Amino acid sequence: MQLTPDDTIVAVVLGFELSATIVNTWIVMAVLVFTSWLVTRNLRPDAPPSRWRGALEFIVKTIESQVVEVTEQKAQHVLYFAGTLFLFIASANILAIIPGFKSPTGSLSTTVALTISVLLAVPLFGMARFGFGHYFKSLFKPSWFMLPFNLIAEFSKAVSLSIRLYGNVMSGAVIAAILLTIAPFFFPVIMQMLGLLTGFIQAYIFAILALVYISAAITETPKSKTRN
Amino acid sequence: MSIDWITVAAQLANFLLLVWLLKRFLYRPILKGIDAREAEIAKRLAAAKEAKENADAEKQRYQQQYADHLMIRDNLLEEALESTASQREQMLQAGRDKLEQEQKNWQQFFEQERSEFQMKLQYSGAETLYELVRKALMDLADEQLENAIARHLMRRLEGMHKDIKAAAGEASKQVATVTSHAPLSDKTQEYLQQQLQNYFPNIKVDFLIDTEQAVGVVLQVAGARVAWTLETYIDELQSQFAQQYKANVSAGSLL
Repeated sequence: MQLTPDDTIVAVVLGFELSATIVNTWIVMAVLVFTSWLVTRNLRPDAPPSRWRGALEFIVKTIESQVVEVTEQKAQHVLYFAGTLFLFIASANILAIIPGFKSPTGSLSTTVALTISVLLAVPLFGMARFGFGHYFKSLFKPSWFMLPFNLIAEFSKAVSLSIRLYGNVMSGAVIAAILLTIAPFFFPVIMQMLGLLTGFIQAYIFAILALVYISAAITETPKSKTRN
Repeated sequence: MSIDWITVAAQLANFLLLVWLLKRFLYRPILKGIDAREAEIAKRLAAAKEAKENADAEKQRYQQQYADHLMIRDNLLEEALESTASQREQMLQAGRDKLEQEQKNWQQFFEQERSEFQMKLQYSGAETLYELVRKALMDLADEQLENAIARHLMRRLEGMHKDIKAAAGEASKQVATVTSHAPLSDKTQEYLQQQLQNYFPNIKVDFLIDTEQAVGVVLQVAGARVAWTLETYIDELQSQFAQQYKANVSAGSLL
């Protein structure tokens, strides 16, 4: 039993093995980008929006409102980043109901990659907001000997994010596989529906946690307000 | 559970690429579209608000115009009513005046007719009386009416010849004129000449006939004039009638 799509090799191109994780990621990316391009290619302000455009506007505005609610500011770059996290994870988890399609988020490599992106994004957004020195000094607060603990805290964020997502998605797939062997007709359907729900919730949790981390980096603390 | 770091790197690159692609094909177009639509809606709302304000202003203007027109109409109506009333009053007054004038004219005409009729009646009655008296005199006394008139005239002259003589003065020595409607008989002429000689010695008497004159005899001595004609008789008769009429009116007998 293969627990992760990394173990499934779809093709070998120029000596590189293309796993199901990468190929399925491309499929998810293609679906997202093609759908977005299809809906947004001819937007006219004077024409009433179509159903697809309305749906995309609803999704984007909901994500934007969440970003504004968490970060308390209208940061478009954060929207692009956190929104893409949510859309990618949710789409990958939703597409997992297609038989034979393994969600790339069920791969620890994918969740680690996403976590690394969050770990990189948090200081980058903070530096973009307050400058490099300010972020660097924050690692030494409240005192210089807190540096290792701050670094451990950042690392633990990455571990918790990646393991949580990976564990939930992978466990869902494992439970579905086990139940399929026990009761092939009834329970798998329920578990698939439950998998959709948990996949969506996991996407939301991952994106919200990333937003919270980024928000902590770009929001002015009382001390920084005083300094400014 | 293992981590393939090549896959991690590839997924990291894939994710960053996806961020860029979605930014390019999803977020920016959608957000721009929302902003554009919001701007379009705001523009339309502004246009609608402006149109509503214009419509309100226009409505207010029309209401004001309507009120003005109503006021003008009321004024015109009031003026027309006043003018009509004035014209009506004028026409009524003109009608009253005309009616009054016609009544006056009719009254005048009636009075004239009455007077003419009375005159004709009097003349007719007098002529009839005259003819009757003439005939009665001829039948009973074998005498002409003119002779009786001449005698009557002379009797009247008897009481007033001194005054006439005084009034006539020197002219009384010259000529006296006796004018009658019909020719007087010779006997009557001789009688008149004798009587006048008695009062006015050496007077010359001329006898003239005037058919225009009323029946009777007129004696004219210089500026003095003594007459008895049917006209003077009728005048006396008319005067008596008028006195009798006034007396009856004051007594209410005509009512």
